[in-house]
Amino acid sequence: MISVDTVESIVEEARTLVEDPSYPAARRWLEDHPEGKVLGHFQVYFPEELAHAAGMLPLKIAGFDTTLQIRKADAHLAAFVCSIARSALELVMSGTLDILDMFVFPPICDVARHSCAVWARNFEDIDSQILYLPHNAASPAAVPYLTGEYRRILREIEEVASTRVTDGALRASIELFNENRRLIRELYRIKRETPWLLSAVEAYLLTRAAGAMPREEHNLLLQRALAALETRDGKPQDKIRVVFSGGFCEQPPLDLISVIQDACYIVDDDFMVGLRWIVSDVTADGTDPIEALADAYLNRSDYSPVQHDPRKPKEEMLLRKVREAGAEAVIIAAAKMCEPGLEEQVGYGQALYEAGIPHLVMEFEEKTTTFEQTRMEVETFAESLLFEFA
Amino acid sequence: MLVAGVDVGSTQTKAVVMNEDREVLGKGLVPTGAKLNEAGQAAFEQALAAAGASDTQVGFVVGTGYGRYRVEFGDAQVTEISCHARGAVFLFPNTRTVLDIGGQDTKAIKVGADGEVIDFNMNDKCAAGTGRFLGAASEALEVPLPELGALALSGRNPVKMTTTCTVFAESEILGWLAKGRRVEDVVAGVHRAIASRSVSLLRRVGIEPEVTFTGGVSNNEAMVELISELVGMSVNVSSETHHCGALGAALFALDQVLTGAIPERQTV
Amino acid sequence: MTTPTKHERRIVIRPPLSLAGTTRDENRKLIREWWAELDAAGEEGRPVANVFVMGSMAEILRTFDMPIAFPEMTSLQTAVRGRSLEFITTAEDAGYSPDICGYVKADIGVHLQGGDHPMGHLPEPSLVVATNLCNTYIKWAEIWERMYDCPVFVFDIPGWRGSGFETKRGSGTFRDDVRYVEAQVRELIALTEEVTGKKFDIDRFRENLAQVNELSRLFREVLELNQHRPAPFNALTEGINLMGIVNAYRGSPKGTRFLEIAKAEFAERAARGVGAVPDERFRLLLVGTACYSNFRDFAGLFEDWQGVFPHSDYMSFAGGALDRGVHYDLDRPIESMAEQMVLTTQEAMGGMFWGQDWLTEVVREWSIDGIVFHGVKSCRTVSTGLPDEREWLLRRRDIPGLFIQSDLVDPRLWSAAQLKNRIDAFFESLESRRAAGARR
Repeated sequence: MISVDTVESIVEEARTLVEDPSYPAARRWLEDHPEGKVLGHFQVYFPEELAHAAGMLPLKIAGFDTTLQIRKADAHLAAFVCSIARSALELVMSGTLDILDMFVFPPICDVARHSCAVWARNFEDIDSQILYLPHNAASPAAVPYLTGEYRRILREIEEVASTRVTDGALRASIELFNENRRLIRELYRIKRETPWLLSAVEAYLLTRAAGAMPREEHNLLLQRALAALETRDGKPQDKIRVVFSGGFCEQPPLDLISVIQDACYIVDDDFMVGLRWIVSDVTADGTDPIEALADAYLNRSDYSPVQHDPRKPKEEMLLRKVREAGAEAVIIAAAKMCEPGLEEQVGYGQALYEAGIPHLVMEFEEKTTTFEQTRMEVETFAESLLFEFA
Repeated sequence: MLVAGVDVGSTQTKAVVMNEDREVLGKGLVPTGAKLNEAGQAAFEQALAAAGASDTQVGFVVGTGYGRYRVEFGDAQVTEISCHARGAVFLFPNTRTVLDIGGQDTKAIKVGADGEVIDFNMNDKCAAGTGRFLGAASEALEVPLPELGALALSGRNPVKMTTTCTVFAESEILGWLAKGRRVEDVVAGVHRAIASRSVSLLRRVGIEPEVTFTGGVSNNEAMVELISELVGMSVNVSSETHHCGALGAALFALDQVLTGAIPERQTV
Repeated sequence: MTTPTKHERRIVIRPPLSLAGTTRDENRKLIREWWAELDAAGEEGRPVANVFVMGSMAEILRTFDMPIAFPEMTSLQTAVRGRSLEFITTAEDAGYSPDICGYVKADIGVHLQGGDHPMGHLPEPSLVVATNLCNTYIKWAEIWERMYDCPVFVFDIPGWRGSGFETKRGSGTFRDDVRYVEAQVRELIALTEEVTGKKFDIDRFRENLAQVNELSRLFREVLELNQHRPAPFNALTEGINLMGIVNAYRGSPKGTRFLEIAKAEFAERAARGVGAVPDERFRLLLVGTACYSNFRDFAGLFEDWQGVFPHSDYMSFAGGALDRGVHYDLDRPIESMAEQMVLTTQEAMGGMFWGQDWLTEVVREWSIDGIVFHGVKSCRTVSTGLPDEREWLLRRRDIPGLFIQSDLVDPRLWSAAQLKNRIDAFFESLESRRAAGARR
């Protein structure tokens, strides 16, 4: 029997992987690779190629909604810490995710850096590390430094995976992830140009699945989705085109994205920004592949509230994103208790105000379950704009 | 000579009068209200009357509870954490873990063999998961507080409460009723939510047998059953655990008498 | 087991000390001078740098005679003077979230109100140097960047990297880190030349480094005086004043002289057996910061029990690990600065995140009875993992600890009755531990 792929069925496949905190696709991979090792990391950015080239499975540990109840983690963290840090710790403490051999934290915020120590104290079987991505991104010394830091983390990976990584293996991994980035860019192009053919929730689930499954399989999933999209029909609706800003770390609940898409086309966003951080192909032919990755992180990359780079003033980057996506409005969101995200809101709001771009400011938490108030805000916001443009 | 412990809690004030042989001669229990010293005085007098004693026989009074500094006739103050620990070990000498669910806060206490506090943990600022939450449920459902426990035991399909915030409790409870859920299932859900919050507090100090459950909510049979289920062992309760804080305070008062460190009584 | 109520506290007769008050007087004088310098620079339109206590780069900036403003200190001062809430509210009215750092909001509130601070006038920064030691430094710097269009230099010093991480001289990682930091020392020098229009003078730089070597040595000696019982000074209260000066005058002979004065006064107290807290009964270690909006009350909660803080991790990280020993090699100043920055940053950051070993050592050497972990909503840098660290030290090292929460500067987060209950219970438990220990 030949099953016919539809966008809906492929999105449902992605959904089952994304919504299950036990990471079923990773467990299947482990059944096929009984000696395989798993490296977890937050989604903001991690050069997964390094883990992949060592034969490890890189997994993005995003938070979860109320399917993951926080029972143990709270006792280890201060009260005013964001939900993603609690969820990640709970995943391991509760035994839901018992397959990690290594976890790499980014130095993006004080909670992330502290979390590394909390994990290291509590999980003796997990090699907990901070990958010290440079904060002085514009310094000429940043690329050589980051190359060295990548080599350090690669040595840790090699030890955990009991292997040696060759340049050839790294180049092959870079090519696989280049392909993944190309496919995701294509998915975003469709969402941007014909948002009525691919909803924000669908695009989100298809993208986010990357972090929950082997990347080879994800490439196949996206190829099938793109093929199915070619024959999909749809008509443009009377919705405003918005950019969603604020999903660079903790992810908004699916229901929130759904509430927004009921009234708006989300034509660009920073959901799962780590998957799209590098904005063009990494070229590793004839050069040192580690240096190529370091260079791409610093010089061919997107922006976020957790990287200061004088070459990429954040408001200008946001305005450019709005322009390039042909958006007419912005939703500036931040995760509750997220210091860097919340601190960005005033600056973004001011820049948008000066540029005459309407915007809505909101806060979210991955574990929120009621959205009635948000629905009313978003609908009112969209209505006011439709009136204005009518 | 007699001693007394007066526990001015946020909701109720308890008093215990004890003799030098550590026998409880009388107990008192009054609602706290706004005038803390008066509540302390009234509970103390109740306990004295029950003991058939007069205040001149009482050599030392220790105040405890959140209103302990307002017990003007008290000779000294000790926190309710130390008092519950002391009282629990007195009632059940093998106690190593104490759970006290009071009106405004819940405490998990780890105690040593001598009744010394090794570690403790309390709920955060809000009254989530405390006795106050039961009070809110009682009001929203119009079921008297003392009947809640029995009703909860009859609930077969407890609802899953998503909030333990007392501010939102009423609307969530009404929401469940509007969805057609039975009152007993809602009450059972409320109990389950508080029990699970309390046990997670216990986990913070480490659950070691035996576990003694104290405070006003230890009278609630459904809560006793749920806590026992969640900690995986039966927890100690008795007719005295409600007064455990006052009992511990009286024991501390007795220490002072027995070591001869009794100051002049100032006011009664 | 009982505590005296406030009205029962008595005056304690102490032996007269010839040096009493000298540290306090010098502290006040130097803080006044520091404000006067900021005020004058603001009026004359001379360039001022905004910097932070962890990694101020005063060694470099002082070479250019650039006055340095420490917004952490000026925010703290608004709180101690009971005015932080009005500035915080001003910032919140402008859209800053209730859930972000109160230091940031107290400072931005002052700037939004035109710069008038209870102690002087906050000048517009001409340069901002923010290290990554606290991530919020960078976000804070970006706010001024937007307000004043001033250059922001993020001085990035890679720190502690996880389980088993220890940078040693000679290791590849150490070399990589130093090379990166050294390049930034040169970048900052070039940028400061541009901002001030002055040439870098390596001999003056060398003098500043020599002063910091001296400052570090004296600072360690002052802290070691507190190994005496009773502890001659309270790290919770007088310690704050010490930190103010070692930061504001880092690299200046005035800072060094101040510590000599403090050392003499505290040494006299130690020699005469005078403790910072009368009839010292408990020796505590503070992890985190104090609550400055309710500073007297906060200190009083411990003093009521005759508890003194001979040490705190604040004394370490807030001085950029000056206490761990800074040894600049004056023959190779730039290279040496880079090396020392890498080493001390790892100590300071490692101490905050991965502090259990250092804390265990301090508990032993300063004869500590218990640790007070104070989580503040304003500062996730110092607070995030404290409950875990507390539990680890209790379970693995049998060191008793108390975890409490309030804030640095936001009085709305102060809950007097709850704090008192927890603190009293902690002292009672220390006492019953002591009694149980004596029985065994």
